Amino acid sequence: MSAILEIKGLRKQFGGVTALSGVDLAINEGEILGVVGPNGSGKTTLFNVVTGVHKPTAGSVTWKGKDITGIPANQISRNGIGYTFQQAMAFPGLTVFENVQIATEHSAASARTDFAWPTPASLLEFVGIPGLAREKAGILPFGSLRLLGLALALATRPSLLLLDEPAAGLNDRETAALVGLVQQFPGHGISVCVIDHDMKLMQSLCKRLAVLDFGSKIADGPTADVLHDPKVLEVYLGGEL
Amino acid sequence: MIKFASPLRALIPVLVVLLLLALVPLMSPSNRFLSLAISAGINIIALYGLSVLFGQTGILSMGHAALVGVGAYTAALLARDFDIGFWGSIPVAGVMAAIVAAVIGIPSLRVSGHHFVIMTFAFGQLLTIILTNGGEYTGAATGLDMQQPVTMFGIALDPLERFYLLVIAFVTISAVASWAIINSSYGRTLRAIRENEKLAAALGINVGRHKIGAFIVSGVFAGVSGVLLAYFLRHISPGQFASFPSIYLALMVMIGGARLLLGPLAGGILVSFLPEVLNLDPVQSRILYGVCLIAVILFLPNGLIAGIADGWAWLVKVSKRAQASGDAREATR
Ligand SMILES: Nc1ncnc2c1ncn2[C@@H]1O[C@H](COP(=O)(O)OP(=O)(O)OP(=O)(O)O)[C@@H](O)[C@H]1O
Ligand SMILES: [Mg+2]
Repeated sequence: MSAILEIKGLRKQFGGVTALSGVDLAINEGEILGVVGPNGSGKTTLFNVVTGVHKPTAGSVTWKGKDITGIPANQISRNGIGYTFQQAMAFPGLTVFENVQIATEHSAASARTDFAWPTPASLLEFVGIPGLAREKAGILPFGSLRLLGLALALATRPSLLLLDEPAAGLNDRETAALVGLVQQFPGHGISVCVIDHDMKLMQSLCKRLAVLDFGSKIADGPTADVLHDPKVLEVYLGGEL
Repeated sequence: MIKFASPLRALIPVLVVLLLLALVPLMSPSNRFLSLAISAGINIIALYGLSVLFGQTGILSMGHAALVGVGAYTAALLARDFDIGFWGSIPVAGVMAAIVAAVIGIPSLRVSGHHFVIMTFAFGQLLTIILTNGGEYTGAATGLDMQQPVTMFGIALDPLERFYLLVIAFVTISAVASWAIINSSYGRTLRAIRENEKLAAALGINVGRHKIGAFIVSGVFAGVSGVLLAYFLRHISPGQFASFPSIYLALMVMIGGARLLLGPLAGGILVSFLPEVLNLDPVQSRILYGVCLIAVILFLPNGLIAGIADGWAWLVKVSKRAQASGDAREATR
């Protein structure tokens, strides 16, 4: 397996707070990689630094062999990295259809002509909310808003999707539906890196897991091994595991 | 397939209103009325630009009259120094105002929205100062006179009725241009920025560049409006493009509403004619504007037209519900 995204020595400081202290992480082509860790361990920051929301303090990010460290968010998207935010969001005053239409119109269409969901309608169909097309995004129930967020990220025709707690706030049925969707991505040429606190969800989605604690990676490997790693057990103190 | 109402539904009411307004000269209105209507129309052209900037992109300019001034002075200088008339001035003034918008927009739109409001306001003041101190070239505080009338196919358009129709034609073009922008993918991009900049960037939209672009587009409308103003007034001076006219433009777009196509039309007409209809002196009308602005911001945040549309939708809903419950009662009887 070859790495599609390679993160080396990534550091991020917010004033005196060190959110990331030199993280190395590779995401392989075609995998679903899980990133877990306690609250405030730097998971979201890791995504934000990769996606250009924040500039890193030090370190490098290499995408398909190209250095993309610190480039602006809109160019990251155009390079084929899509992401969803931990706080589910959309364009609240616009219709669901318009939301997805905007995202499709800005996809670097030339990058992937073979894309499985080229139109807004096909994206809404895929995530399962075609009936909401005419509704304003601002009035969607939370579960549907998460699905819309996924459709928006997917509309950019990514080769890698970064999902920040995509199941947070979803009920069991919605979570199961989401798992069903995410599992299809590798088959469509989309690698996935997903953050979540729900270990059951992570076990069903990810063959490989990386664990962050206080801004450092403390474990990385096959899911079952990582979950039995004494260092990881210590971090979670037998709590959530 | 997901079906949506045709975008023409937004344009047709505006075209109907403009058609009716074009018939006004048939009712032999007074010159006073025509003059007011012409000023209103000239403002409305600039308002259609502001509706792209404020309504679609969510950026407020508090110095927009300065861009109108750029258009007006361009027309006056072209006529004086190059013997270029009205029709030649239109494209040049549009481009000049666009360039000036880019010069203000590039440094100030990279920062925040609040910053931009202050920058545009400061720019409005700056332009007045430059024009006032421009010596012979800009006519200093006295300003410049326009000698030539507007002609079309050899016909002079300076009788008020004809000039009025010319303005209506330009308002129509502005409304259609604004409508075309709103309904294009470019318009959607601007709305995405208005709704959520962070998400817009995540989807590949270059937020900074498009904000500057929207300001430049609004500048073109302002420049064209300035040419008409110069040829209508026959005399322009720096004071006409200072802060008060800018505030009026912002007021008109907020009162009428910036997001719907009827908004600029309603705002421009109301703000121009209300003091006349109510027979107010300038001080009273300023107080009225202030009160109107506060009322609109508090009660109709999307402007009068959107407020009326929402009110209508609410009435329809209530009456339907009343009917439904009435039917239900009927059925249980
Ligand atoms: N924009 C910011 N400014 C200042 N500090 C920040 C910022 N973003 C994150 N931090 C800090 O960086 C650290 C890591 O935060 P981060 O959001 O990455 O954690 P997380 O692992 O995603 O947590 P959670 O599971 O709660 O989402 C925290 O101490 C947080 O307070
Ligand atoms: Mg987080």
